[in-house]
Amino acid sequence: MALSLIVNGEQRSLDIEGDTPLLWVLRDELGLKGTKFGCGAGLCGACTVHLNGQPVRSCSTPVEFAVGGEVTTIEGLADNGQLHALQKAWIAEGVPQCGYCQSGQIMSAAHLLATNPAPARNDIVAAMTGNLCRCGTYSRIIAAVESVAASSLAYDASAAGQER
Amino acid sequence: MAMNRRDFLKISAGTSGSLMLSLALPGCSGMPTGYTQETGEWKPDAWLEITNTDEIHFTLARVEMGQGTYTGLTTLIAEELEVDPEAITPRFAPVAPEYRNPLYKLQLTGGSTSISTSWEPLRTAGASARQMLIMAAARVWQVDSADCSAAQGRVLHPNGRDSMRYGQLVELAAKESISDDVVLKPASEWKYIGKQRGRLDARAKSTGTAVYGIDVELPGMVYSVVTRPPRYGARVKAFNESDVRAMPGVLDVFEIQRGVAIVADKYWRARKAQDALKVEWDNEAALSLSTHEVFASYRKAADEDRGESERSEGDYEDSLEKAERVFEAEYSQPYLAHATLEPMNATAWYRDNSIEVWAPTQAPDLGRIAAARVTDLSPSDVIINTTFLGGGFGRRLTQDYIEEAAAVAYRVKTPVKLIWSREEDTQHDLYRPAMLHRMQAGFEGNKLTGWHHQIVGPQLLDWYVRNAAPAQYPWAPKFMYDTLGKVGLLAEGIATPKDMSAIEGAIEYPYNVDNIDVRHTHTDPGVPVTFWRSVGYSHNGFAVETFMDELAHETGEDPYQFRRKLLAGQPRHLEVLDRAARLANWDTPVAQGRGRGIALFKSFGSFVAQVVEAGVENGVIKVYKVVCAVDCGQVVNPRIVEDQIEGGIIFGLTAALYGDITYEDGQVQQSNFHDYQLLRQYELPEVAVDIVQSTEAPTGVGEPGVPPVIPALGNALFALTGKRQRSLPLKADA
Repeated sequence: MALSLIVNGEQRSLDIEGDTPLLWVLRDELGLKGTKFGCGAGLCGACTVHLNGQPVRSCSTPVEFAVGGEVTTIEGLADNGQLHALQKAWIAEGVPQCGYCQSGQIMSAAHLLATNPAPARNDIVAAMTGNLCRCGTYSRIIAAVESVAASSLAYDASAAGQER
Repeated sequence: MAMNRRDFLKISAGTSGSLMLSLALPGCSGMPTGYTQETGEWKPDAWLEITNTDEIHFTLARVEMGQGTYTGLTTLIAEELEVDPEAITPRFAPVAPEYRNPLYKLQLTGGSTSISTSWEPLRTAGASARQMLIMAAARVWQVDSADCSAAQGRVLHPNGRDSMRYGQLVELAAKESISDDVVLKPASEWKYIGKQRGRLDARAKSTGTAVYGIDVELPGMVYSVVTRPPRYGARVKAFNESDVRAMPGVLDVFEIQRGVAIVADKYWRARKAQDALKVEWDNEAALSLSTHEVFASYRKAADEDRGESERSEGDYEDSLEKAERVFEAEYSQPYLAHATLEPMNATAWYRDNSIEVWAPTQAPDLGRIAAARVTDLSPSDVIINTTFLGGGFGRRLTQDYIEEAAAVAYRVKTPVKLIWSREEDTQHDLYRPAMLHRMQAGFEGNKLTGWHHQIVGPQLLDWYVRNAAPAQYPWAPKFMYDTLGKVGLLAEGIATPKDMSAIEGAIEYPYNVDNIDVRHTHTDPGVPVTFWRSVGYSHNGFAVETFMDELAHETGEDPYQFRRKLLAGQPRHLEVLDRAARLANWDTPVAQGRGRGIALFKSFGSFVAQVVEAGVENGVIKVYKVVCAVDCGQVVNPRIVEDQIEGGIIFGLTAALYGDITYEDGQVQQSNFHDYQLLRQYELPEVAVDIVQSTEAPTGVGEPGVPPVIPALGNALFALTGKRQRSLPLKADA
């Protein structure tokens, strides 16, 4: 079937069976390989992308469910060539080991911070628990998310200071 | 450190004015370079290449699967070359004898050996290049090269003002010859070793741009999936070919050695066609056992055959006879899957009588043999391109996925990507073997006088030699492959390395005891097995360190002090044990509802002690805290060492809490992460890693974090509940 959706801000049209998981459309039809296949059952989170601002498991989301929607992938997280604060934190903390799960980890974290810029540790743990990491980078992930949350608090404080 | 340069370094002028250094690692020295007619081998001539535009390329012979070779090995070169590690572009090595791991004489990444085997050769290669660049500059400036120095990719003039870029010097430097003794920088002058903290691959892996095997894209590429027999060893009898061919997008469906392959224009169409495939299997040679039969067969084998003695000192039988008290225990461990997050996959393209493969593999030269086996091609007709690996843990030492992709590509003659599903990855893995251990210990008073450890289970070389032996002799004709495999096994310990996979860690029992006997009853129930992060140490660590804990308890001693007093003459063991105990506040009472357990285990040359604090909450085991002291010799990158040890701890906890692959009637019962669980973020304990500052040669870090945490957790639960668990995974309600 012919369908269209907005991916990383661009209108994309394609002709494909509607039950094809969004994951394979992104990877194989649109060439966005940053989103990974891990389990095909929504259990590991490696395929996490945002659909209309919500994190979804693209391996288990038929593309027809995304028709007309806005999809953001790891490739679309940077803004005008500026990496997302989480990506910078991931690099500074040296989070990735094998790195395979990290696109999904970052997309889950990005949704958390978009809805809760100053999460408590429990909020971070809860938001990130659906994303498996076989290498065991969990503590670096927490540290990276916390560093962004802390700097956004500092930014808010300094902005508030200027207003005064 | 002095090293004879001529032993391993070859220098040549590269194309377009670059300086190329070719390095034959120890064990491969004297190997001819260039093209050799007889072997049909192309031997690449570059490890390090510096272009006249200051690009520095470094050929990375040990693959990057998360353990940090991409950063660590590049740091070694950078340190001596006097450039920032960030200024070097690593690229993954092609298959060539120069890139073999000198310990195994195969081009494989495993055994936590990448830093230890590269430590001197790579620094020497960097230092040699720096020295030649300095000599070239000195010649230009007409000064004594001893007065010149190098920094930040430049040679510095003695006058302190002038300098020349390496790129300006490469053409001249290629003409220099240097003395046999390359002087390496003293540790006091290191800028990166022991200090470098970032990872060179972090950016690519945080932006989705790192290319893993599954990401390879080729023109006109099609997709393949394979249906394999549910029971290992079954053969295809018949299948409904025409039904599958009628499915949308299907291009071909055919039998290969390992099952039935479907090729379609899109991955999802191949999967949907697979749903329509019905295969009738011939199960005559297939596995039909269940897990309980495996352990029954092990017990029978242990009763009938005491096995080969692998370490014998004193007279343990006599010591047990004379002992006032004898303790016995039997331990068992299940099969374990690797569960790399990137499922098995490979992409292959057959054209012009050659096959090119792109794959996340730990052993590209074995991949070449695997591809040659299932085609009419020779290994020299097979090109293997290695990508980033989405986890390895030993799984990608076996090349079944390359074998399949090559078989499919050879038939379809178009680029084809073959991807395993998670279910296929879980059920068609080669597993960490299930093992059984029988232990006995004798005491006179409170003195340990005898130690007996009987290990029961398979050896991994039996499963691995099939492709490993031919890979060592890639020019051998294919009809000899099976012979080479058999010779490889017969010559084990003579011409080929002794298979330590069942006994490692047990034969290095470090505690002082006069009478010791460690033996292996070799028995193989036919379940496919292979290397799994920390290999034999993973099961021997549990058996030895749990039994030690039992003995401490039986003799009324503190488990830490009991070990401690048996470690006279083992200063590095003692140091990490003391540090871990101190860090864990061992001498203070543990919080209500928690137990504390300790374990000490040396593996891959590194000494690791851990203390676990655990409890049971709402009927579930809860790990609160793991403290770890590690002595891995000289540290190249402290952050990566911490990460590897912590990652190993999480890997070990996953096995201790969840790991259990079971068979019923020859079929694996687990399939995906719901029933083969991995530790999740919410289960993460507090982890503290204390690294001993050391100037000893570097040893492994990728695996040594795994073995001690499993017994340390079991010992902690015993301290809490008073109930001893002798099989894994551990249970809250044991």
